[in-house]
Amino acid sequence: MQTTPIPSPRADALVSVRDVSMIYRTRDPSGAALQTVALKDANLEIKAGEFISLIGPSGCGKTTLLRLLADLIQPSSGTLSIGGKTAQAAREARAYGYVFQAPALFEWRTVQQNVMLPLEIMGFSKPEREARAAQMLKLVGLEKFARNYPWQLSGGMQQRASIARALAFDPQLIFMDEPFGALDEITRENLNLELLRLWRETGKTIIFVTHSIPEAVFLSTRIVVMTPRPGKIEKIIDVDLPQPRDFETRESARFFEIATEVRESLKHGHGYEVTE
Amino acid sequence: MTRRSSNAVPMLVVALAAIALYFPAMIWLNASQAQKLLSRGAELKCGDALACAFNLRSPIIPAPNQLLEDIPRLYWPLTDSTTVPYNAFFTGLETLLGLLLGALIGLGLAVLLTSSKAFERAVLPWLVASQTVPIIAIAPMLAVLLGANGVQGLLPKVLISAYIAFFPIAIGVAKGFRSPDPLQLDLMRTYNASPQQTFSSLRFPASVPFLFTAFKIAMAAALIGAIVAESSTITDAGLGRMLSENSRASDARGLWLVMIGSAVLGIVLVSLVGVVERLVTPWQRER
Repeated sequence: MQTTPIPSPRADALVSVRDVSMIYRTRDPSGAALQTVALKDANLEIKAGEFISLIGPSGCGKTTLLRLLADLIQPSSGTLSIGGKTAQAAREARAYGYVFQAPALFEWRTVQQNVMLPLEIMGFSKPEREARAAQMLKLVGLEKFARNYPWQLSGGMQQRASIARALAFDPQLIFMDEPFGALDEITRENLNLELLRLWRETGKTIIFVTHSIPEAVFLSTRIVVMTPRPGKIEKIIDVDLPQPRDFETRESARFFEIATEVRESLKHGHGYEVTE
Repeated sequence: MTRRSSNAVPMLVVALAAIALYFPAMIWLNASQAQKLLSRGAELKCGDALACAFNLRSPIIPAPNQLLEDIPRLYWPLTDSTTVPYNAFFTGLETLLGLLLGALIGLGLAVLLTSSKAFERAVLPWLVASQTVPIIAIAPMLAVLLGANGVQGLLPKVLISAYIAFFPIAIGVAKGFRSPDPLQLDLMRTYNASPQQTFSSLRFPASVPFLFTAFKIAMAAALIGAIVAESSTITDAGLGRMLSENSRASDARGLWLVMIGSAVLGIVLVSLVGVVERLVTPWQRER
């Protein structure tokens, strides 16, 4: 069995994952105990300012890893730290913004009110809330739709609103769980470009879950390849494509080389069930 | 808005169909009734069965000429205690107060039901049981009990009305509190929102559409409660009192008009909920 090389812990790591495993204990219909290993012995160090993609097929533990970092679930073993804090302390300090698979906008709030939601919860003053919402909506190009309700927006616009909401309280770290998975290819490529621009302009650290190889290669500074049964980190690949990236980046020879490397790693881990 | 006005046409078609059905049904039912009476040798003073269909003292369905005669008699003047509008006012007031009280109790119960599994397990079966007791059996008992303690006037009827109104509100709103998407709940968790914040920013607003659906059901139920309470207690006003008086007097024509008045009152009260709903849920407008 192949062992994943454990990166040596770095002092400058913003996010650090050490020997983290997640085991779900359930029962099968006959009542016998079942163990599902969602994530096994994961190790990962992420520096501030990186754009990390977690890629792999369903069941490889990529969403599990993100939810563990966000303290939405707790690991069976191992330690997670964000900015020197435990995952729970980081969540309580509102250290990260989370963008979900679905926009999860509140339908009774206008787009602007949705972006202001975290600011209300966190006790920002009204002028501050309005100023930040306006700034964020401009950043994602939705300033003309501030007073619209979510159902009046297309799927891509709704997801942009949810990104503005995640950025509103200015967390250094952004978690994104297949945010463009439900969108068509054309909208997705446009949003990928916009996301890269946002990342460059804001200097955020982004951890991005995807099952699309081109998306991962295009966006990331590093790609974490994950494979299922049990979910584990197969390989971490550096993406040395120059910044800023644009549509031409996708046609460069280096782009295809890296995409092939990702594909080979997925195959090697028997995780080749990835969409193109 | 365009969506709503387009409802008017199908509704009108149904109304016209109902009127088109009314005439043959009225003639057929009343004429066969008249035929029965004539064959027993009754003196109807109206010639044959078909002619008598329009002039029966106790018609199965009142004829249009009878309705035209009865409507002014039973609907005017508004302030006369023998007219339908006067009595409908009191029944409507009892229904609204009953709904208000039922809403307070129902909302309180919904909060408790969703905040504690133990409370739900212990109390929900009893709430269900409370609704299986026929209201007609409870109303006189409550009226006697309250009367013996000096409670009279509107209050017993409001209480009976609230007794059946609280249940759909409690169940509907509890369902509304549980309606947020798991992702929306996760989102609040990423903000480290307190349970109170999650309730006021997410669970409560998410329950509003459920609340209004529950209010519509509860309003109709509260009206039944008020009418049943009026007809089974000693009372000076209300459609329930008119129904029992007309029923004792075997006044079919009067009963029909009270029934029509009750139906109109019910429609007005339920539409009132719809109007309030549109005012307070602007995000659902024009959808």
